[in-house]
Amino acid sequence: MYLDRLLNQGSEPVLEKWLDFTDARERVLGEDIVNASTPNYVQKDLSLPQFQSMLLRKVQQQQTAAPGSVDFGDISMDIQDPRRNILFHDGNNRSMEQLMSDQAKNALQHSLAVELLRDQYSIMETALQEGQK
Amino acid sequence: MFDILDMGASGLTAQRVRLDTIAGNIANINTERDADGKPNPYRRRFVVLAPGEAGNPKLPGVHVQSVQKDMSPLPKRFDPGNPDADKNGYVSYPNVDLAVEFVNALEASRAYEANVTMMDTAKSMFNSSLRLLA
Amino acid sequence: MIQGPANNLGNVTGITQSPGQSSSTGATGGSSFADMLKKSVDEVSKLQQDATQAVNDVATGQSENVTGVMNAVEKSDLAFKTLLAIRTKLMDAYEEIKQISL
Repeated sequence: MYLDRLLNQGSEPVLEKWLDFTDARERVLGEDIVNASTPNYVQKDLSLPQFQSMLLRKVQQQQTAAPGSVDFGDISMDIQDPRRNILFHDGNNRSMEQLMSDQAKNALQHSLAVELLRDQYSIMETALQEGQK
Repeated sequence: MFDILDMGASGLTAQRVRLDTIAGNIANINTERDADGKPNPYRRRFVVLAPGEAGNPKLPGVHVQSVQKDMSPLPKRFDPGNPDADKNGYVSYPNVDLAVEFVNALEASRAYEANVTMMDTAKSMFNSSLRLLA
Repeated sequence: MIQGPANNLGNVTGITQSPGQSSSTGATGGSSFADMLKKSVDEVSKLQQDATQAVNDVATGQSENVTGVMNAVEKSDLAFKTLLAIRTKLMDAYEEIKQISL
């Protein structure tokens, strides 16, 4: 019961939520790319600024609360329509360049979050093993 | 984060619109009549690119500000037998020059490739800096 | 001015004691080492807090400085591992001293 508070400290919950977000967004963008030629398909996206502002509120709560007690679980990720001001004759509002660029950015953010989280866990393991191999 | 990829995407979109315009010009190289069937030759179109986004020129990137018609004089040919000839027997044709359009298309496609290379470079720079943590 | 050999001897012992890191001589030597250790722990803690702050800033979109985050995280990791290594060496040294039979 207190062990999960130990693991809920510092930047770990932030990074875990960020990983959840990039995973969910990867799926939504992949669906958009697959449906690039589908008539009357409305493109979907998860809004990064909205996610970041919810995360910021949780981080600010974390600064004044007891260590490990803030629950990051209830950040919701809603699907939105990215208004790209493009409409093709088949009713689709895709922009291939924007989609590929968003997917690349999402993948880079995912790699960054994974590396940072892996680093956090390895430092904890080093501390637990007290420097012995 | 990673604004450089957004900038690259805006460049790609702008070059693609440019290429679309050029393709439209080439397709209409012999169009003497307009949509209503009146003798109104197609005028060459060109895009005007401007920095930033549509509402905010200070942001990084590029956008297509407008697509305008080229108002240079239309070439005329002497053809009195043509039903579209004017009172002097001259017929006006679109002011689209194939050589100019091809060169512009080449430039647009090279610019497209350059944007893609830039985005690739940015991604690989970031991936190599991730190895700091490995 | 003319200084005798005693002054020179004083200067030599002054050199060995002035960095404040001697761990053996007397009560003043012992407390300065403990202070140094406490300061090191505080520095490591501050570096870790800086790293956490940098990670949170990048994750919430407050800052765009991605390489800065990686630098901060790596520095705090190295500082922590250095402190851990110092602690291990101290424990080993203590074990050795315990085994000196008098």
